[in-house]
Amino acid sequence: MPAVGQAGGAPDVAAARSDLTRRRPGAGYRSWRFYLMAAAVLTMYVYGWQVTQIRLSELWRGAPLIAPFARALASPDVVVRENPVERVTVPFYYGGETPPAPSAATGPTLHLSRSAGAIGDRVTATGEGFAPGRRGTLWWENQIGQRQQLGPITTDAQGRFATTFTAPEVQGTHNLVSAEVVSGAGPLRPSPTFYVVLGRMVETVFLALMGTTMGVIFAVPFSFLGAKNLTVHFPGGRIVYGLTRTFFNIMRSIEALVLAIIFTVWVGLGPFAGVLALGVHSIASLGKLYSEAIESIDAGPIEAIMATGANTLQVVRYGVVPQVVPQFIAFTIYRWDINVRFSTVIGFVGGGGIGFVLQQYINLLQWRQAATALWMIAIVVAVLDYASAVVRERVT
Amino acid sequence: MSDPILRIEHLTKVYPDGTRALDDVSFEVARGEFLVIIGLSGSGKSTLLRCINRLIEPTAGAIIFHGRDVAAASRDELREIRRQIGMVFQQFNLVRRASVLTNVLTGRLGYVPSTWALANYFPPALVDQALANIERVGIPQKAYTRADSLSGGQQQRVGIARALMQEPTLILADEPVASLDPAMSHSVLRYIEELNRKDGITVICSLHFLSLARRYGTRILALKGGRIVFDGQPSEIDEARFKAIYGEDAVAVEIT
Repeated sequence: MPAVGQAGGAPDVAAARSDLTRRRPGAGYRSWRFYLMAAAVLTMYVYGWQVTQIRLSELWRGAPLIAPFARALASPDVVVRENPVERVTVPFYYGGETPPAPSAATGPTLHLSRSAGAIGDRVTATGEGFAPGRRGTLWWENQIGQRQQLGPITTDAQGRFATTFTAPEVQGTHNLVSAEVVSGAGPLRPSPTFYVVLGRMVETVFLALMGTTMGVIFAVPFSFLGAKNLTVHFPGGRIVYGLTRTFFNIMRSIEALVLAIIFTVWVGLGPFAGVLALGVHSIASLGKLYSEAIESIDAGPIEAIMATGANTLQVVRYGVVPQVVPQFIAFTIYRWDINVRFSTVIGFVGGGGIGFVLQQYINLLQWRQAATALWMIAIVVAVLDYASAVVRERVT
Repeated sequence: MSDPILRIEHLTKVYPDGTRALDDVSFEVARGEFLVIIGLSGSGKSTLLRCINRLIEPTAGAIIFHGRDVAAASRDELREIRRQIGMVFQQFNLVRRASVLTNVLTGRLGYVPSTWALANYFPPALVDQALANIERVGIPQKAYTRADSLSGGQQQRVGIARALMQEPTLILADEPVASLDPAMSHSVLRYIEELNRKDGITVICSLHFLSLARRYGTRILALKGGRIVFDGQPSEIDEARFKAIYGEDAVAVEIT
């Protein structure tokens, strides 16, 4: 036992030395506390593993289910090739009626071995004058315009083909047979999906912009009330400060997702609900950040400007504003960046933007379209992230 | 002392935590004096200077500046008094992100309509005056640079130019060279001395080093524990007085 508490200096030194020895690093595993802690931590993780139903084998078993999506990510629906098509259509009637003879026309022609008949007839279709050495399709179209494939066709070196089909069982009598041959390779064009996704992405960026703007408009005045160094000098300032900070904390603790659901009930599905959700959430987040920026300013310039005989407005303009504006700008851009990312999720609950179409694509298993949306989000977020970093670097 | 510019009567400042920073301090400052206030850290030098323009509210006493009691002045009167009193700070207290010119122009805020601040407007005549003052403190090429890109000595000269914009009759300098190296200290103090000698501006300046106080002051006031323990000519401070001001263990450090 070390001689703790004895009179004189030496025993105290001995006690301190013994204490040092006990606290020497590396000696921890010799203590029973170490094993108790280890057991507690282990129990915690064992329970955690069970309660969250972690089954790693599912990752393997489910892999085939997600494979189409993984493949789609590599080939998003971004561009389409609009190939020129040669199309010739001739009539084929059921029910005894004979169609009028087709008028002579230039270009490719399609001839059927008979132009009238009954369901189940074998008919030979021959074509001439098509682009040579190309693939195409022979189509059957019934009286109300529903199409079905009769089979593939391939033109020979002279641009001819011949194929035999069985007249299909359809309602109505006035049918059409058409041959379509892809005659060349057209230019690559952005796909319709690309335009849809792009439009929604623009909507998302502006949704975030409007939400952020709404946040800024309300957060700036509130932030001055939530800055301790400014409010405490006025009567009742502490109460105002406390109320403002409490408001910020409560609003911040409500997730924007929850707000979005509330606002979709209030103002209906669409981007406006998203703007309100992001806006309300941004008021609290920005307000807190702004307040802290104001609290961290250097009191020196304020003191100096007050000493020149300036009034409150002048002190705020020349002493406070120059110190906080760069930080305000940085926080605002950062918030916009966050809001763009977050508005993706907002869309999932009906708050408009790209999340809305992404969810639809996923629900319809349109993986390539979903991949387009995901890539678009990734690229825009990355660009905004970089841009906001550059701007923040500049202003501070 | 005839024609005092400033008369301090029984000035007392007690901080909310009970610290008695100034304890019944009374003295007069004559026009054109270079009064140096010395004393240990915490002896009340900064508090005294800040009470004169009421950056700190005094607890009791009167501060008669040009015949008007600063301590009893209304808000508007106080602003009018403050604009006649320039102030130079230990930490310079410039708006770091603003240009030198803007910093100097803020010295004139007490004279211009406050609505001009919204548009950041200063009339051309004032800008010319500011540029002239910047030239006077020897940094004309720095007028449009950001204040925080200047060296400490240059920043303090901006601080002096800002005080000059007020066309003050009194300059309060709170440890103006405590953040500067010795060479810079002399450079800055010489500018303040020049304002005192040439422009006839009365200066009250707190300093740490007795050697600097002796070199620049026309009169020295020593504070200890919020009380005046010496008031007289620089030459009157001998070894015994030095120990009375700074304590028995103190050793004079020369700064040349």
